Amino acid sequence: MSTTAAPAAASRQGRGGAAASAWFWRYLAKRVAQGIAVILIVTLIVFALMHLALPDGPGSGVLGMQATDVQIAAFNHEHGFDLPVWQQYVNFLGQIATGDFGTSFEAKRPVLDLLAQRLPKTLLLAVLAMAVALLVSIPLGVAQAVRRNKPFDTVMTAINFVLYSTPSFFLGLILVIVFTQWMHLLPATAPQGQTVAAVLAKPQGLVLPVLTGAIPIIATFSRYMRSSTLENLGEDYVRTARSKGTPVNRVVVKHVFRNSLTPIIAMLGYYLPVMFGGMIVVESLFNYPGMGLLFWTSAQKSDYPVLMGCMLIIAIATVIGSLVADLIQAALDPRTRGALK
Amino acid sequence: MSTPTTPALLTLDDLQVTFRTDGGPVRAVKGMSLDLRAGEVLALVGESGSGKSVTSLAIMGLLPATATLEGSISLGGEEIVGRSEREMNSIRGAKVGMIFQEPMTALNPTMRIGDQIAEAILNHEELPKAEAHERAVALLRRVGIPEPEAKAKGFPHEMSGGQRQRVVIAIALACKPELIIADEPTTALDVTVQAEILDLIRSLAEESGTAFLLVTHNMGVVADVAHRVAVMFRGDLVEVGTTEQVLTQPAHDYTRRLLAAVPRLPVAGEHTPSGIAEGSAGATPALSVSGAKLSYRVKGATIHALDDVSLTVAPGEIVGLVGESGSGKSTLGRAALGLIPVDEGRVQVLGTQMTGRWRNERAERKVRSRVGVIFQDPGSSIDPRITVGQAILEPMQVQPQLAPKSRADRVARVRELLEAVELPGEYADRYPHELSGGQRQRVGLARAVALEPELLVADEPTSALDVSVQATVLRLLGELQERIGFACLFISHDLAVVHQMSDRVAVMRRGKIVELGPVDQVLISPQEEYSQRLLAAVPVPDPAVQALRRAARWEGKHGDAA
Repeated sequence: MSTTAAPAAASRQGRGGAAASAWFWRYLAKRVAQGIAVILIVTLIVFALMHLALPDGPGSGVLGMQATDVQIAAFNHEHGFDLPVWQQYVNFLGQIATGDFGTSFEAKRPVLDLLAQRLPKTLLLAVLAMAVALLVSIPLGVAQAVRRNKPFDTVMTAINFVLYSTPSFFLGLILVIVFTQWMHLLPATAPQGQTVAAVLAKPQGLVLPVLTGAIPIIATFSRYMRSSTLENLGEDYVRTARSKGTPVNRVVVKHVFRNSLTPIIAMLGYYLPVMFGGMIVVESLFNYPGMGLLFWTSAQKSDYPVLMGCMLIIAIATVIGSLVADLIQAALDPRTRGALK
Repeated sequence: MSTPTTPALLTLDDLQVTFRTDGGPVRAVKGMSLDLRAGEVLALVGESGSGKSVTSLAIMGLLPATATLEGSISLGGEEIVGRSEREMNSIRGAKVGMIFQEPMTALNPTMRIGDQIAEAILNHEELPKAEAHERAVALLRRVGIPEPEAKAKGFPHEMSGGQRQRVVIAIALACKPELIIADEPTTALDVTVQAEILDLIRSLAEESGTAFLLVTHNMGVVADVAHRVAVMFRGDLVEVGTTEQVLTQPAHDYTRRLLAAVPRLPVAGEHTPSGIAEGSAGATPALSVSGAKLSYRVKGATIHALDDVSLTVAPGEIVGLVGESGSGKSTLGRAALGLIPVDEGRVQVLGTQMTGRWRNERAERKVRSRVGVIFQDPGSSIDPRITVGQAILEPMQVQPQLAPKSRADRVARVRELLEAVELPGEYADRYPHELSGGQRQRVGLARAVALEPELLVADEPTSALDVSVQATVLRLLGELQERIGFACLFISHDLAVVHQMSDRVAVMRRGKIVELGPVDQVLISPQEEYSQRLLAAVPVPDPAVQALRRAARWEGKHGDAA
């Protein structure tokens, strides 16, 4: 995604291709280096937290209640959990560097395989939920701002607050009751399957998980879009546009919309990890075989290698998300381009 | 200029505008009748709240929904009050253009300059986009933007305030409207830029026969460009006449008061220099800055805010500091307070060196108790959540050794201070938002002198105020200075105000002091080329004198080029 945004942002600069792209690649290299540093810090924090949670190693969690102390000690020794913490961390980094994410204690399969199978499905769900959320919340926010304090705005604001304050597991249950139990329209469980294609083969099963993921975002983003649009409607440039004879509706579409969108886009990148948190709930609720569900079951069983793998993916997603958000913002708002250089 | 026999282009007949507010209806314009002919520049003057901006928005049909409009506005013989939004859109931009006060925010930050101008053309004319863009470039050239092709592809943030105002003018001109309403078009600009914009407006009126309704509070601007003047006072039109007539022989009492309040720079030869206040030589200076340098980096470029600045303010002396925006005058003011440490050089306040270093903090704090400060914006420099009395009390609590000991004495001192700035003592219990701008600035003044400072730094203390209010604040400041005898660093972009207040004056440009000397010398017969140029750019509120100054300035500018 970042590679497609790159030439677009660079060409918008419009100051001769070669010179423009040189600073762009420098900027990108700097951001990637920063991203790697961020990811390293994240692994350190997660590693430390796991050690604090189970200072004696994950053996007791993995082997269960019946395991003897001898068995637990043997397990911890076998996986190196009896080494000093710093040594464990260095070993872990060394492993990651060679592309080895370890083997799941529970599934007895390489973590990378598990992630490769689960991640695309979660991405599918997250991207669909975000797309639905944006398609609804942005026009809704603009419409509310244009009709501010009229009945439409008041009613939508009230609905938004109700949806925003409803926990998503509860929201999901209500959707299931309404659409499955009462109306018999949609299945209550997500399509099961190993691949994205298998999931897409039964699209009706995706509707409720996507809605459950999208609704809290709609409630949040439409609120932001409303206030951002309102703020821009009060700006001087709106008065200038109207003094040219531009009709109000066109002022909103041509001038206000783009300026109002920038802060929303900036937020979008930081929303990716938040969405992953939401996916844990949605996937557990609908038994959707994605990374959220994997994370949830692994956390219950102290499956350290899987948990570390998931955390790494989230950290990478956060770094890429914020980079992409900054690039889109630079494309939308010429004033922020100077800051990239 | 047109003769009075030409039919009026714009006629306002008994125009009334009323706003619905929580406190009941407010009549902003109370029955206004006015004519404006083609090619004429009519200045609409008055202080804030007089209804001049409301009148201009009424003509554009851009009043907020809370306003109701009565009476008649006719443009080219056609009534425009009561037209539908659709019909008004065909008038706005095509028959009437508008220029606004704040060029920094008047343009869409994310749209290319050329597109913003082309939009105005495409709103009213059927033509290919490429052609509209060509015309946009031509308009940029017409308003004096260098490299118009490149600038048309650029964005507003790449331009200076003056250039942006030229773009706004290009937008207003785009469809060759018969009338352009300019609402304080130069108020946010430096005087040298103001002079260029006024030249542009004058030439447009002369060459294209465009009529201008120029809303302003600046009598110098009026004298420079207007043919006729209409004076508004609290929603009423009190006087209309030729510029000559209104500015030199005002008929209405309010106009006379307004003109009397305008600070004027005396003209060379007509003014007997006053005796220079004897700076007590040998005594420790109130402020001594020597070789001060301060720079910071913005987007890779180094800005020298202070570049080897040396300045001394003797006890009891008022030193004015003038210069255009970005000249470094406010930075010098803040450095003088010890609020920002300088990179190189020395800043001494009342004999104590201000370093901004932690280990010097006690000494600097002690010295700051003997320094008062007053800022430009009276609205934001007083905490809105505390009463006026608490605001004035605060310096006494921070520096208790200098204040009366008992609470009763301090409260009495607050009343005394309020009365010194001619506010009733009961105002101590009011909140800042219950006061007018001028009253708030007087509270700021009372707070600044609460501890009887030995040095006062005043940074544009009256720039946000109307002239009559400014006159009061300046008079009070002068009275307090005489009584307490503090030294003062008086920062302002208004040369006439600085002349009125100061003993000596320093002219700053790009972080350097280019000229320093007694006010009468520097502001009446300046020696340095930049000071001369700055002074020449200030319009004076006398049409005959201003015409001569304009001609001299024009000759100087174009004579150099030839």
